[in-house]
Amino acid sequence: MLALRSRKSTLLRTAIARAYVRIKGGNREPSWILWEVILPLLMISSVVYAYHSLGAPPKYIGFVILGGAMMSFWFNVLWGMGTTLYWEKETGNLEAFMVSPAPIEGLLLGMALGGALNTLTRALSMIVMGILFFDAKFDVNAIPSALVIFLLTLSVLYTLGMGLASLYLMYSRSGWRASELLQEPIMFLSGLYYPLNVLPMMLQVIASLLPLAIGLDGIRKTLIIGKKIWDLGPHVLSLITMTVIFTLIAKRLLKYMEHKAKKEGRLILRWM
Amino acid sequence: MSNASILTVNLTRTFKRGKKIINALKDVNLGVNRGEIFGLLGPNGAGKTTLIRILATLLLPTSGEAYVEGYDVTKEPGKVRELINVVSGGERAGYGILTLKENLWYFSQLYGFSRKDGWKRVEKLISLLGIEEYADVKLNRLSTGIIQKYNLARGLINDPRVLFLDEPTLGLDVEAARSIRKLIKEWIKSDRKRTILLTTHYMAEAEELCDRIAIIHRGEIVALGSSEELKQKVSRYVIYKIGIRGHARIDFVKEVDGVEAVSYKEDIARGVTVARIVLTEGDYISSVIEKIESSELQIIELSKVEPTLEDVFLKIVGASLEK
Repeated sequence: MLALRSRKSTLLRTAIARAYVRIKGGNREPSWILWEVILPLLMISSVVYAYHSLGAPPKYIGFVILGGAMMSFWFNVLWGMGTTLYWEKETGNLEAFMVSPAPIEGLLLGMALGGALNTLTRALSMIVMGILFFDAKFDVNAIPSALVIFLLTLSVLYTLGMGLASLYLMYSRSGWRASELLQEPIMFLSGLYYPLNVLPMMLQVIASLLPLAIGLDGIRKTLIIGKKIWDLGPHVLSLITMTVIFTLIAKRLLKYMEHKAKKEGRLILRWM
Repeated sequence: MSNASILTVNLTRTFKRGKKIINALKDVNLGVNRGEIFGLLGPNGAGKTTLIRILATLLLPTSGEAYVEGYDVTKEPGKVRELINVVSGGERAGYGILTLKENLWYFSQLYGFSRKDGWKRVEKLISLLGIEEYADVKLNRLSTGIIQKYNLARGLINDPRVLFLDEPTLGLDVEAARSIRKLIKEWIKSDRKRTILLTTHYMAEAEELCDRIAIIHRGEIVALGSSEELKQKVSRYVIYKIGIRGHARIDFVKEVDGVEAVSYKEDIARGVTVARIVLTEGDYISSVIEKIESSELQIIELSKVEPTLEDVFLKIVGASLEK
């Protein structure tokens, strides 16, 4: 038998290998560029033109562009990372994976990394086209601060995705309901297309607990209003705290769901 | 150190289907020695795959214990996973859009190989299995036979101590199945610390490959021993092979005195129904012939045959395995 490496090293290698599958596989079907770039841009355009027709202040254009960019990451969490285990199960890959010593977090991390690269292309092209076509204005000096908030937001979102993915271990396709449930309400409450202060106070309170809302608010404050990272202490603190809490919850959920699925014989039970 | 590579103690697994409880495994006690190919023979739904899934840490037992290389599959799944691998016939684990060798490299990474060592291992296995010309072909373009060789390569990627082969030649043509069996034999011979637990419902495959065989039926081990030992169980019986013209259902033969078991299947190409009849004594064959002919069926072949595993199965379970 060959000598096996430590758990951490295996986790990292698994993540890189899964990201390789995602990126290499994606690039062999270049049509993804069309779906990832042009179609979302059309959606954003309709909102931008709605604001134009209503005579909204120019900063709203930036709001929309950034909201659309962050929405891409949220969709990647819900439908890319979240559903990973469902697809792995259906293709028979989960069985081969689960008999290996690789931690399941490695698989999900790899999917997040691989997916994030594609999503980043989508998000960046949205911003570039927003600047070129709609004259969206961003504070270039605030990019480092925005990047910090952006990375912290991604961390929280992907730990959330890890927790969501655990549901698919047990419930398979029924887990889609959870992804659907999280899609529209969170889009609504996170203010993807408008500033949160237009919402009633109670909804603003609920929104303040959502990582996407906090992250988006932070990024908008940096890139549109020009605030620096030290002005956004509560944002940074909330996002770090949420990352830690959601990581712990996701790990426990994954372990629990794996145990439950093994107990009920649903770990590799296919829907189709 | 004990020589048992796999050990199960009163292993039981039930499934709930609505209000119905299905006993997939009932108090299975099994010991598989290191260095042997151990066969589990049984029809679909007998519990073979359930047993493999428990041993491979994919399913928890309802009660009882199971150990692989001394590790408890329930309490120490991580340790077990470092030592095992599973290959299922008819499976296509991997990513269709990646090539055969890229897929194997992906699986090597799950076992913590460095990038370089992973590729080395992949090249070695591709050469061992003689699939060099398919290494750069996408998985979704490969034939069933090559896919099964790829599956075997994936199962050997971590050089496991214990390899679970679940119907490894399922759906393969004669040549591809022979090639897979040859590879399995060579692999186990090259290191006596290795163990294979193989499930099959092909009698000839079990006879050719396995050092010992357990017959599993409705979740219970009903017979265990080497192929020769199992055949001894029917050595006192007389077995006849009868060919009947056309499509015939001859369950009524069971009513004849001296008939222990009957199995039959239709050979569509020849237009013949071939039956195997296990008798307590040879003299009873005349009553069997009389009964068949009185049903207006025409016997076109009759011969006394040596017992096979099929007859053992037939005698113990009361039904044919290879339907």
